[in-house]
Amino acid sequence: MPPYTNYHAQRSYPMPDEPFCTELSAEQQALKEKEKGSWTQLSHAEKVALYRLQFHETFTEMNRRSNEWKTVMGCVFFFFGFTGLLIWWQRVYVFPKKPITLMDEWKAQQLQRILDMKGNPVQGLASRWDYERKEWKK
Amino acid sequence: MMFPLVRNALSSLRIRSIQQIRARQSHSKHSPDFHDKYGDILLASGTAFCVVVWVFTATQVGIEWNPSPVGRTTPKEWNDE
Repeated sequence: MPPYTNYHAQRSYPMPDEPFCTELSAEQQALKEKEKGSWTQLSHAEKVALYRLQFHETFTEMNRRSNEWKTVMGCVFFFFGFTGLLIWWQRVYVFPKKPITLMDEWKAQQLQRILDMKGNPVQGLASRWDYERKEWKK
Repeated sequence: MMFPLVRNALSSLRIRSIQQIRARQSHSKHSPDFHDKYGDILLASGTAFCVVVWVFTATQVGIEWNPSPVGRTTPKEWNDE
């Protein structure tokens, strides 16, 4: 683990206060000395090494996509499923007895009564019932 | 006067994005993190668990949804008394 530093770089704040590596080996210190001279003397590898001393990641590395959304959505669905278990427990231990008006026989009789009264005959319930054939319209 | 500026800006955007795509393809993942290793499993198992539990709860547990009687309920005589 790197030591706690003030190095903090992100896309919106790309110039951190400190360089990434502050404890330099002798070889790295020699490179920093060479950096004080003309930069045309630096090889490509040395320039990359200096960049890596200064910054933790390149912009491409920093901005790379990740698969974090899979973990997040997986956990979201898991907790949503857990909520389903809570609803099950609630149905068993909290819900009152089903009222008589929601029993199948009552609902069938209520439906016949509404059809007899021709409730909502234009676009609603009675309009969907075929009174000649005594069945639902197709 | 605006038009060539806009055209230049748009063309440079297109070039930069192609470069970015090439750079992204050349950067292979160095070491897989937690999400690379377990993300797919977590997503699949979480979704499966959620679907199974909710289908069970919605259908088998005795919850009265009271759906529309249209096409479902056959009316029954009610004024027999």
